Amino acid sequence: MNNTETKNTCSALVIDDEPQIQRLLTITLESNGYRVATAGSGQEGLALAAQRRHDVIILDLGLPDLNGVLVLKHLRGWTQTPVVVLTVLDEEADKIEALDAGADDYVTKPFNSGELLARLRAALRRSDTGRLEEPAFKTGELVVDFASRRVTRGNQPVRLTATEYALLRLFIQHAGKVLTHRHILREIWGPEHEDDTQYLRVYMTRLREKLETNPELPVLFHTEPGVGYRFVEN
Amino acid sequence: MPGEWGNLPRVQAQARQNISSMPDATQPDAPGHRRPQSVPVVRAPAAPGNWLLAHPAQQYALVFFSFVAASLLNLSLVDLIGYQAVALIYLLAVVVLALFLSRGPVIVGTALNALGWCYAFAPPRYSFHISSFYDKMMVVTYFAVALTISQLTTRLRAHREAVARTKLVAESERLGRTLLNSVSHELRTPIAAITSAAGELRASNALTPLQKKLTTEIETASTRLNRVVQSLLSAARLNSGQLRPKLDWCDIPELVRLALRDVGDLAAAHPLEVRIAPGLHLAKMDFVLMEQALANLVANAAMHTPPGTAIDIMARVEQHELMLQVADRGPGLPADQMERIFDSFHRVSGATPGGIGLGLAIVRGFVEAQGGRVSAVNRQGGGALFTIFMPARESPDIPEEHT
Repeated sequence: MNNTETKNTCSALVIDDEPQIQRLLTITLESNGYRVATAGSGQEGLALAAQRRHDVIILDLGLPDLNGVLVLKHLRGWTQTPVVVLTVLDEEADKIEALDAGADDYVTKPFNSGELLARLRAALRRSDTGRLEEPAFKTGELVVDFASRRVTRGNQPVRLTATEYALLRLFIQHAGKVLTHRHILREIWGPEHEDDTQYLRVYMTRLREKLETNPELPVLFHTEPGVGYRFVEN
Repeated sequence: MPGEWGNLPRVQAQARQNISSMPDATQPDAPGHRRPQSVPVVRAPAAPGNWLLAHPAQQYALVFFSFVAASLLNLSLVDLIGYQAVALIYLLAVVVLALFLSRGPVIVGTALNALGWCYAFAPPRYSFHISSFYDKMMVVTYFAVALTISQLTTRLRAHREAVARTKLVAESERLGRTLLNSVSHELRTPIAAITSAAGELRASNALTPLQKKLTTEIETASTRLNRVVQSLLSAARLNSGQLRPKLDWCDIPELVRLALRDVGDLAAAHPLEVRIAPGLHLAKMDFVLMEQALANLVANAAMHTPPGTAIDIMARVEQHELMLQVADRGPGLPADQMERIFDSFHRVSGATPGGIGLGLAIVRGFVEAQGGRVSAVNRQGGGALFTIFMPARESPDIPEEHT
């Protein structure tokens, strides 16, 4: 589990009011090479975030003083530091609200540390690359050449409609990040179609059929039930 | 979290108080949503705003006393202010009554005062006859004013009561949610700590084989505990009416795939066969609730049938209904328990130990909350067949595009 990629390089700010979760996150993160600062309330978290630069922030949504989403909105007022939110199950609405307020990702409690670390790595990776400035994108069998708008899977050209291509481009731009249904619908079909989830369902099926090696077991386009989709690089 | 948790007992007490005083008619009772027996329903007070005298007899008594008092006052004043001005004192008495009493007593009071004026004051005095045209006009006007005012105050009161009731419902729902969130947080935080600590132990790479085995046991137990907590919280959410299904167009094959992923190892000992009718894709439902319902059905089948027996998961549309089915080849259901199989904490006698008897109750609750229904029958050739029925709607058109 020890990850050399992040060894001695990253600092994480944990904002959670539960001392035990704070302690465990500190142990997990420190043993994986993060420097950790902890805050027990939203106010304290905001103060710490302003004092010193952190590479990533882990924010519990259920804080005693400030609603976690409010903390997130304050943070997003002045910083683009990746934020991974901790939530409990049954709170799809909260997850969506947090993602729309600028959270990069969420992890559902109880989580295992491997999952959390993977999400943190993905968030950190995203924050330091301008992905669409690269001329091409490659993961597994899939190659997308942005300049010529050519998409191939295992050297076979794949014909995509304009909408399918736009959708793919959006996912690649935000690879690893959960995109909410509303966000995708707004970006691709426009604000007036924000609630037309049927478009998304149909196009996701088509995209999977064209781009996944096995559409029955998708590995590129993950469904986040009730929330949205996540494009995962291999 | 000293702040929030210190407050918990107080919030709890408030929540209980508010829920028990919630008026009957305000219980969320959506069509198809069976109100669970466990929700405390206590008779509501007659109306919020206790300045209203509750009992009609009290109201009529007050009307009579006010009539006597106004009449005595008028008799002593009539020589000083004239018989027409005393009519205004009667009117004032009625207006004051209208502020506090309901409409029936106010109308009785209006008539009583009018008769009193006609008899004792309007010339000729001490007869119900009124000679002058202007005096007759005055009686009519008096009635019109008194009734209008009583109508207006009744409306105003009804409005205030409605607002108070809405506030009460909103407040008790908010408290219910706060309470449920608190309990959820309190239960899940330690589970999160156990899971995460066990994960770290495993990852530390310094464990003896025995320690590794024990760590696996801790992980398995905490996964199971989390499932139980999840079931209890789902049931609590159902019972407290906190469930708000979000109906969206969902992809059926995707739903089935994710439900089976949730079941995971629980059904590892059974071959699973998925059959989805060709062309069946979109259906309007709450993805998360339906995923959980379907997963519960499959887990239930896996738990109560011998290892190695097949479990079929089927989806098709029949007679304008979408049917999601889970069929097994286990012992089937005892005929006398078909009805009760979806009840909370009901367990079929002689069933495999394990589980707390909430899985199927949650299935029914989640499905009915979305406007669907569930059924359980025995299959021909042995085994049980569980079906979720949802109203099938015409899939919306998607504009076609060409490459």
